[in-house]
Amino acid sequence: MRANFPVRLGPAEESLIAQLKAAGATQAAERITVAGLPTRRVESYHYTDLKTLLRSIPPLATAANEASAPALRIPGAYTLMIANGVIQNASTAPAGVIVGKADGGVLTTRDDVMVHVNNALANSALTLTLENTVDPVIQVERRVEGEAAHVADALKIFVADNATTTIIETFSGSDAAHVGNHATYLALGKNAVVTHITVDLSARAATHFATNEYHLADGAKLRTLVIHLGAGLSRTNVFPTMGGADAHADITGLNLVSDGQHADITMETHHAVPHTSSQPLFKSISRGRSKAIVQGKLVVARDAQKTDAKFMHQGLMLSDEAEILSKPELEIYADDVVCGHGSTCGKLDEDSLFYLLSRGIPKAEAETMLVRGFIAELLDPVEDSELNEALQGIVDGWLLGGK
Amino acid sequence: MTTPVLEIRNLHARIEEREILKGVNLIIPPGQVHAIMGRNGSGKSTLSYVLAGKEDYEVTEGEILLNGENILEMEPDERAAAGLFLAFQYPIEIPGVATMTFLKAAINAQRKARGEDELKTPDFMRMVKEAGAQLNVDSEMLKRPLNVGFSGGEKKRAEIMQMALLKPSLAVLDETDSGLDIDALQVVSKGVNALRDGQRSMLVITHYQRLLNHIVPDVVHVFSDGRIVESGDKDLALQLEAKGYADFDGQAA
Ligand SMILES: Nc1ncnc2c1ncn2[C@@H]1O[C@H](COP(=O)(O)OP(=O)(O)O)[C@@H](O)[C@H]1O
Ligand SMILES: [Mg+2]
Repeated sequence: MRANFPVRLGPAEESLIAQLKAAGATQAAERITVAGLPTRRVESYHYTDLKTLLRSIPPLATAANEASAPALRIPGAYTLMIANGVIQNASTAPAGVIVGKADGGVLTTRDDVMVHVNNALANSALTLTLENTVDPVIQVERRVEGEAAHVADALKIFVADNATTTIIETFSGSDAAHVGNHATYLALGKNAVVTHITVDLSARAATHFATNEYHLADGAKLRTLVIHLGAGLSRTNVFPTMGGADAHADITGLNLVSDGQHADITMETHHAVPHTSSQPLFKSISRGRSKAIVQGKLVVARDAQKTDAKFMHQGLMLSDEAEILSKPELEIYADDVVCGHGSTCGKLDEDSLFYLLSRGIPKAEAETMLVRGFIAELLDPVEDSELNEALQGIVDGWLLGGK
Repeated sequence: MTTPVLEIRNLHARIEEREILKGVNLIIPPGQVHAIMGRNGSGKSTLSYVLAGKEDYEVTEGEILLNGENILEMEPDERAAAGLFLAFQYPIEIPGVATMTFLKAAINAQRKARGEDELKTPDFMRMVKEAGAQLNVDSEMLKRPLNVGFSGGEKKRAEIMQMALLKPSLAVLDETDSGLDIDALQVVSKGVNALRDGQRSMLVITHYQRLLNHIVPDVVHVFSDGRIVESGDKDLALQLEAKGYADFDGQAA
């Protein structure tokens, strides 16, 4: 039932509605007109009340005159760039990679404002078809240049049966109050093995929204890693569907938040068929007055027997004002499954710290070692050594930079 | 008179409002090995932690001099750089921190604190290999995260290997024998004895006399209720073994 009276709309909602209408997305505009942006009363946005957090929406991005170099350089990677929503010309693709363009709207419709807005506003999508195993790391950098802008862009990736690949997406931009809304749809063919990493490196003034949707066919193996550390406000939706027997996903994520930041990873994994497994493992590190959130929902369909899935969120608080929030949910319709969830939260272990100090390692260095150790479980599985090093560099930069 | 490596004067310490150390006095000259024996709960580990500078303990009275320098105001890492090493009764497992990374950080931090150059990687690798060979610490163990999945004996051997690499002027060994079978005890003792060089001093804390057959002490102290109540030569350990600790309870030093 819709309420009879309209909700009071704020400036962010007004701009968003106008932009959606201008783009011809009447339905999406209507939804926001009626319901407004989600508040804490909307379960999936309980900890990320967009009505309060999103004060304004800048004008839609216009094509950028020039795009800077990628915010993260990975030696040996094949790099593609989307600047202000516009797909840039790329160098020759490695063998087996077909780069193309398609209409936007790559995400499966669901009741989520980020999805609605992206599907409505992303005009075109960059498409990557991987016909076989691709050795070089594929990097897609999405940048927002210039004055504060609202940008929606989309990427659609098909990985053929039996192919193996590593894809990293980086998000960055000029130092302005951009609102980025990014979509990635990734389909894994039978027995495909994919590592997919997304790293938010936007400026602190920016807001970063991303939705990563995955479909896994029989025997596909997926490792995902979401890293939040740039934007003041960030939220990544991770929506895997385990759609083929023996598919397995290691779904991982890392919130690194400093004073004033708010980061939210919301996962909803669907185990749709029998004999699939997933291992969602998330970590959050917060310092200063900041907030890190992980919501993890496991949905197991009625006939998805033998599903094996365990959600875990571990938090590390480096200050007293930091907040780390966890919301696990299980929605299980099958009866023969092993599913669970857990979360832990604490400070650096005093005994571990003392042990390192007692060996002569100064406090700051010892703390860094322990924090790195905390994260290692997420970075170690990234096999490409250049990529691994680049990610370690990002994390180290965060650790050494400020509070 | 030469400066003692360790001098403890009337040391009182407490944790959570409870006094555990109640006036410890101890002098260890260069090159000597002293043993401290005492029943469980008498405060031996507390003494070792207070020496190493663990935060939880509050020193309410007394002094600790390491090579003549008062270390009470120093942080644990500064004490380590000044030459103190504690082999933990229960070495801490630290997942995610590679043993080699840790060893290199520790060695280089101490070198840096002493104004020495960092070790070059090949030199470091050679040092670790040599120390490891002496203590049956193989490369498989070194590849694991620090102490993670080590058996009790492996942890103790790894502690002594760290000591061999860090070359302290004072080593405090807290129940290094506990949890060791006789073979492991021999390996560890051999490693410890190899580090006795006439200069380095050691404080060997133990519950059982057995260890002292392998690491023969110059002086044995009996510890009871937070203080040293009796000191003697190595035969004191045998007496203790025969008579038990009861005879020494309530005695003042
Ligand atoms: N963290 C602590 N809080 C309170 N009491 C403690 C703590 N740690 C040790 N103690 C107490 O201090 C006393 C001495 O302990 P400890 O030094 O470990 O003895 P030992 O090593 O001789 O067995 C014991 O009674 C123990 O219960
Ligand atoms: Mg003890």
